[in-house]
Amino acid sequence: MVADADFWLTQFLNGMQLSMLLFLLSIGLTIIFGLMHFVNLAHGALYMVGAYVGVSAAASLGNFWLALIAAPLAVTIVGIFLYVAVIRRMRRAGPMNQVLVTFGLIFVLVDLVRILWGDIALGMEQPAILSGPAEIFGVSYPAYRLFIIAVGLVVMVALSLVLSRTQIGAMVRAGVENDAMASCLGINVERLFFAVFCVGCALAGLAGAVAAPVFSATPSMATDILIPTLIVVVIGGLGSLGGAIVGSLIIGFIQTFGAVVLPGFASVLVYVLLAIVLIAKPAGLLPARS
Amino acid sequence: MFYQTPLKSVTVIVILAALALYAILGGYFAGEIVVEIAVLAILAISLDFVAGYGGMVSLCHGAIAGIGAYTFAGLTALAGFDGFTATLAALAATAAFGLVVGAVTANISGIFFIMATLAFGQMAYVVVFEWKALGGDDGMSGVSRYDFSAIGLNMNGSVEFALFCLLVVLIVYAVAAYVLRSSFGRTLIGVHSNEDRMRALGLSVWKHKAVAFSFSSLLAGSAGILAAQHTLFVSPELLVWTVSGEVLIVVILGGLGTLAGPIAGAALLVFLKQQVSDYTEHWHLVIGLFLIAAVMAGGRGVYGQVEHVLQRKARSDANA
Amino acid sequence: MLEVRDLSKNFGGLRVSRHIHMALEKGERRVVLGPNGAGKTTLFNLLAGTLQPTSGEILLDGKPITNLNVEQRARRGLSRSYQKNNLFEGLTVGENLALAAATAQGRTFSCFSRAHESRAIRETVEEVAEMVGLSDRLDLGVAHASYGNRRQLEVGLALATKPKLLLMDEPTSGVGPGMIDAFHKLIATLPRELTIVIIEHDLDLGFDVADRITVLNYGEVVFEGTPEETKGSDVVREIYLGDWQGDA
Repeated sequence: MVADADFWLTQFLNGMQLSMLLFLLSIGLTIIFGLMHFVNLAHGALYMVGAYVGVSAAASLGNFWLALIAAPLAVTIVGIFLYVAVIRRMRRAGPMNQVLVTFGLIFVLVDLVRILWGDIALGMEQPAILSGPAEIFGVSYPAYRLFIIAVGLVVMVALSLVLSRTQIGAMVRAGVENDAMASCLGINVERLFFAVFCVGCALAGLAGAVAAPVFSATPSMATDILIPTLIVVVIGGLGSLGGAIVGSLIIGFIQTFGAVVLPGFASVLVYVLLAIVLIAKPAGLLPARS
Repeated sequence: MFYQTPLKSVTVIVILAALALYAILGGYFAGEIVVEIAVLAILAISLDFVAGYGGMVSLCHGAIAGIGAYTFAGLTALAGFDGFTATLAALAATAAFGLVVGAVTANISGIFFIMATLAFGQMAYVVVFEWKALGGDDGMSGVSRYDFSAIGLNMNGSVEFALFCLLVVLIVYAVAAYVLRSSFGRTLIGVHSNEDRMRALGLSVWKHKAVAFSFSSLLAGSAGILAAQHTLFVSPELLVWTVSGEVLIVVILGGLGTLAGPIAGAALLVFLKQQVSDYTEHWHLVIGLFLIAAVMAGGRGVYGQVEHVLQRKARSDANA
Repeated sequence: MLEVRDLSKNFGGLRVSRHIHMALEKGERRVVLGPNGAGKTTLFNLLAGTLQPTSGEILLDGKPITNLNVEQRARRGLSRSYQKNNLFEGLTVGENLALAAATAQGRTFSCFSRAHESRAIRETVEEVAEMVGLSDRLDLGVAHASYGNRRQLEVGLALATKPKLLLMDEPTSGVGPGMIDAFHKLIATLPRELTIVIIEHDLDLGFDVADRITVLNYGEVVFEGTPEETKGSDVVREIYLGDWQGDA
């Protein structure tokens, strides 16, 4: 029985770790989505870029923590370029055109990564301090994975505080709820969107760099992570922090526990859940607009 | 409203005739390319039917074709049915799947519709992937092509099969065009134009959308049947969502809501892929840039742009 | 023909329709007046089924239709035109009318017939186009049509379904005096057995065509009577602050 409890605790931590990665990606996507109704399929590709930059930075600088700063910065710069060149012009083009253009961006970014870094999976060294196992509630669990959970929780708390306590947070909430009203109130929605977009890119880059030591950097991570992230966003409700948290936890845990309990059909469960939510509550579980 | 204009007729016939000529004169390799174009063109026509004329942008048409391919492959290779029966069953299966997806998603619009169809497509993908009897992720081989030896046709020949596929493209186009001109098609276009008003005029909108999606799925199923016979093999890769994305690209490159454009788009994409991969393995990069440019240039697509220019010219001539 | 019993609609705490009673004879022309925000369009949305009432009942030909949705009510012969043009953009005027006529005649599902080109539909299209004054505009793309033409088509779409009950929401909003006259004439030429409810801002038109007038204020029926009675009513004068005293 003890072994059983240990097993489930380990699974719980695995679920948390996946949930936190999904959260780091979906929060940026959902706010961009909710604020400007912009569908960015290339968000997963930014995560991939973050992982590769993290790998290279860690190797050349010899320091994991610097890589953790370099990756979000680099991805933000890539994001700014995409914003100026493409996304800004596609703001009012409708969901289908946005899907297509950002689908094209996935192609471009993935191939650029393959040209720059090659096709093989690249590993990344964990920092020495986190490389061993850690004891938690009597269970031995890799310290680095606990670190991923911690990063997710820190970002979650920080974003909650920013959104609920600061002026820019209030502006974002107003923009998500009613952008016409927000611009009447004198909020520069365009600039706000740009700022939020940059934060979203930085978080995607951070997620990529944090994930690289565990999963390695591969070109396929751009599309592999995209679908679960989109599902989180839709299930949770566009533009809502609470929705991103709840959605990430639901998807992270269904995938983790589903793989143990119903091997093979865990991802079917996720899609069934998505279909049910879309039909029963099309606005998501915790929509930002009431 | 949809009208089978002379421009559409000429475009379809010229492209199909050119491809037939290419298949006949170009040897084995040309035949393979033509089959690839034909399969993609059928899928793109079926997607244009719902997306361009019904406003339902589906990201599961690849998966629907995959269902057709697997039904056909399973019935012929595993259960020993003849090709004709298997074809009917595969079309019925895709139409039924499309009816369910269409009925369930009829009240969803915009990005939510895209996501919902994505979910249904991925569901089908995962089921096929995990279904050991169908070969799971290894796929299933042993599919055979139609047996037309009675009329002296050897479908295992590259040219014969390519020509047959082009014939199917023509049939699918004609059927889609005919339905679009019928009461059903015009009503669908009305729903696309103003769903609320159609409801206020007394139409059961969801029923109409569901049937339209089902019909489109049936057309997509025929592409799957040809794809299975082309490689004599089916695998879950047929059903991945990126395949549906590629079909959507073809529709956009050719011209959304033009029906003839998707055929041009399919030929364009496959030839472009062929040309680019002669020079570099990174053809996705080129396609991606091409796609971004095409959408940002107005998104009318190659054929759509031609049609637009000619129509504008005709209007200004009429006014002059 | 149409009966409304104790109809109320609340949006949260906001009561936009309160205990509305109405009864219309077959062939009656009823004009609904009231200041902005009086709940006129809400009443139409309740009648047409776009909104569900919080309480109360609606009967058409003696049968309850309260639980029917928009399309089911339309199939019972209820048709409406909108205050804001709600057309099929991208199609021509003729295609718009044909679509409305074919839908009302239930000729929507056949993949084999081309009902839109059939004689029955063509006749309806021509007849309605004649009525609303669009006979020479059938091939005009709606997107290129003038505001006045679009307004005519808006009413035309509602008529093309050959309804029993026609709801018209400010058919003359935003058009010039010439077209207002044309609408006067149009309503006079409509079949006498057609029951019509019109929301009107133009009081002259209201008095001209109405058999009876209902006045709404704050979601309530504050007056109902013949045009003559309405002109003499103190309640109505108070609401309109003597808007038409000079005209009357």
